[in-house]
Amino acid sequence: MMRFLLRRLGHAAFLLLGVSVLAFAFSTLAPGNYFDEMRLNPQISAERLSALRADYQVDRPMAVRYARWAVALLHGDLGFSFAYNTPVAPMLWTRARNTLLLTGTATVLVWMLALPLGVWSAEKRGRPADVALSWATAVLLIVPDLALALGLLVLAVRSGWLPTGGMVSVGFDGFSAGQKIRDLVLHLVLPVTVLVASALPVLLRHVRAAVAEALEASFLRAAEGHGISRRRLLYRYALPAAAHPLIALFGFSLGALLSGSLLAEVVMSWPGLGPFLLEGILARDLYVVIGGVLLSTLFLVAGNFAADLLLYWADPRIRAEAAER
Amino acid sequence: MSELRAKSAQMGAVVALVAILGCSLFVGRAKSFPPQHSVPAGEKEEIVRVAGEGGRRGGRIVIALKAEPKTLNPLTAADTPSREVISTMQGDLVHINRATQLTEPALAKSWKISPDGLQYTLTLRQGLKFSDGRPVDMEDVLFTFRVYLDEAVHATQRDLLIIDGKPITVRKVDAQTVVFQLAKPYGVGERMFDSWSILPRHLLETTYKEGKLAQSGALGTAANQWAGLGPFRLKEYVAGQRLVLERNPYYWKTDEQGNRLPYLDEIVFLFVPSADAQVLRFQSGETDMISRLGAENFSVLSRQARDYTMADAGPGLEYNFLFFNLNELGEKAPAEMVRKQGWFRSENFRQAVSLAIDREAIVRLVYQGRGAALWGPVTPGNPRWANAAIRYPGRSLDKSRQLLAGAGFRLTNDEIGGPKLVDAEGKPVEFSIITSSSNADRAKMAALIQDDLKQVGMRVQVVPLELRSLIDRVTQTKEYDTCVLGIASFDADPNSDLNVWLSSGGMHLWNPSQKHAATNWEAEIDRLMEQQLTATNTVERKKLYDRVQEILVEHHPMIFLASPDILVGAKKGIGNFHPAVLEPYVLWNVEQLYQRNGAENARR
Repeated sequence: MMRFLLRRLGHAAFLLLGVSVLAFAFSTLAPGNYFDEMRLNPQISAERLSALRADYQVDRPMAVRYARWAVALLHGDLGFSFAYNTPVAPMLWTRARNTLLLTGTATVLVWMLALPLGVWSAEKRGRPADVALSWATAVLLIVPDLALALGLLVLAVRSGWLPTGGMVSVGFDGFSAGQKIRDLVLHLVLPVTVLVASALPVLLRHVRAAVAEALEASFLRAAEGHGISRRRLLYRYALPAAAHPLIALFGFSLGALLSGSLLAEVVMSWPGLGPFLLEGILARDLYVVIGGVLLSTLFLVAGNFAADLLLYWADPRIRAEAAER
Repeated sequence: MSELRAKSAQMGAVVALVAILGCSLFVGRAKSFPPQHSVPAGEKEEIVRVAGEGGRRGGRIVIALKAEPKTLNPLTAADTPSREVISTMQGDLVHINRATQLTEPALAKSWKISPDGLQYTLTLRQGLKFSDGRPVDMEDVLFTFRVYLDEAVHATQRDLLIIDGKPITVRKVDAQTVVFQLAKPYGVGERMFDSWSILPRHLLETTYKEGKLAQSGALGTAANQWAGLGPFRLKEYVAGQRLVLERNPYYWKTDEQGNRLPYLDEIVFLFVPSADAQVLRFQSGETDMISRLGAENFSVLSRQARDYTMADAGPGLEYNFLFFNLNELGEKAPAEMVRKQGWFRSENFRQAVSLAIDREAIVRLVYQGRGAALWGPVTPGNPRWANAAIRYPGRSLDKSRQLLAGAGFRLTNDEIGGPKLVDAEGKPVEFSIITSSSNADRAKMAALIQDDLKQVGMRVQVVPLELRSLIDRVTQTKEYDTCVLGIASFDADPNSDLNVWLSSGGMHLWNPSQKHAATNWEAEIDRLMEQQLTATNTVERKKLYDRVQEILVEHHPMIFLASPDILVGAKKGIGNFHPAVLEPYVLWNVEQLYQRNGAENARR
């Protein structure tokens, strides 16, 4: 077990190192830098720009800058934002927290929907209910997320039922605890709906396929022959038998918690990591970009790691394989 | 039973997730408010009485910003949202009224300019207080200019205080009087004092001595650690979401009835990154005012106007233009580029391109008629400095073709019978226009120019580039043929664009940072701009700048295209809504804005 864990952790560290080098290289080698937009400000002279560039060490070789950043990272410092003139880490964490609230809620919801619907669909495979569900998910797959998000926003404007963006209302601080929860939930409805609608079809189809395959297994037919109830058969025996690909998918869901909601966040003005990172990329705010990419990668690695652990726990074949090594 | 447990666990997970991640929403963001200081009885306060419609106290307005401001520090602010927010929190000695475009007394109640134009004597108002209640004295003024001029601070506006290579010196005469000594007369006169925020020495001196002044004023700064002389002061910042400012009780203006301004209790700036989302939030009533609207969104909102008023303030100061790569590229330049530069350096060619472009169509199709066609760099939004003698002659394809023929170009037919222009060597005239992919209006302009030039046989490709890549090409690598870009001047005075017109300027886009002027006409522009810079007579300055405009139109280094109108909107309940064409368009008179339903709005 320990060897398995150490090997996985080694892979994760190597991946993070590789991603940080690549992100640094791509961000640095992309044409232009943060101070370029100031060149279009008639009030700022070329000399002032040169002084600013020198102050922020923009002109130093990439390797030197990477080495300095990496050393700082070892001390828990993710660098300094050119634009905000403040350390990157607290800014990233504030936005990441908002993103996690959104994507965490959406992830829980989508799994809560996908599991029972997928199992039900597998059980009814080929019947009208299953066909109807397939059509419904196909429609959700076809509709672009952007169109869905904009459509929901227009609906919100026309109906006045839901807020049209943001995370809380302007007067939030003056609300009672109950009003605050209600306000937050109302603001979550639209972006969560977009995220759920985009992830549900794929997840549901995977659950359906995995359970349908498991239902064909002879041990399940035998169990059915022994008179075990249909519901118990599906959830106690078929679902665990179909777990292998689903656990991998679950790991991926965890991994995408920070990086999977960019579009919804931008369109719905959700103050998460996505819009912040996008702004950082466009502004060439180097350390914001590297920090954001690294944090997203960390989640991806952690998601995969969690999936590996779950698989290790759920699948005796993997345990045996690890023991043999 | 186990299913039930599983479902309970799932529900529990949702609740826990919301609780854990959301708990920080409910706690920990409250800031310490500045202590309340009462105005000492009997102290003389030299208040400014502002003319105009009287309003009602109370309420708030909510306005969206396209991006989060980066700082509250006027020294380092370079982005538009920061400048917009800072303008409501800070005060300057002399202020340019955004509606009249003329100067008016602000923190300085009067000023005197010496006959030689080298000395400006300003008298500070008595009884001024920062928004934290601490009195303002002359040491604050001296401190402000000391830090703005300190090279180590990297103040973005510092260069404006350098006249003829020498920094302005500031000297205290007495408790209320300060003298600014210039090395040479400065044509802008007292306008130069606009937007220099007077900083609170009591809060910033220690930071300055520690060499950390540029880092101060971050958005997370506690409210009691930041003060200014503007109508509002910091109340709360929620990262990524909003910035809330509250009324400054020590503000130094009253209305005609003697009621202390501002009327509003709060301004809330929401960060809404997309223009469409801003429109939706305005439509749904979540924001009270909207600014920097595109023509399309303006039309949509105007058609659906219910409880809001949409206003077209007319053309602003932004001018959009096409320019050619006229840089000296040296011997290593590719032959293709050398050949193209041969065309671009021909004034007849540039003028022919100019005459072939249908500017009226640009205004009609890009700005839906809400803009002005431009022939020179000064827009109709700046009537004081526009050269009225320069008139847009209208599009003329015939004249364009004649000029091209005169410059040795020949019009032939391509393989499908369309016009094809070839140069004296028989090579087809083909070039690209780069433009910013993030600016849809300029991308449309480039496409229209492509279509216009096709009619005189030129083949043009439009290449949208991400803005920083574009700037890199124009100012660093010089790898481009032509470019469509725009400049939005901060002020109506020609000196705000000095860097654009001087051949040594970094923004002399067609050939920036020249050691010596590359052409005679550029040398003449240099001479004229230097003269107007130091001329103290406005009539003389106007004459000099008129000539600069004439030269630009004669030689066409830039082909001026169009200027968009300033399009804004506000809820009908907002009083004193009078948009201006200078920034900040809707908030320039923020101290006079009020909610007609007053305090009722505060409960919204």
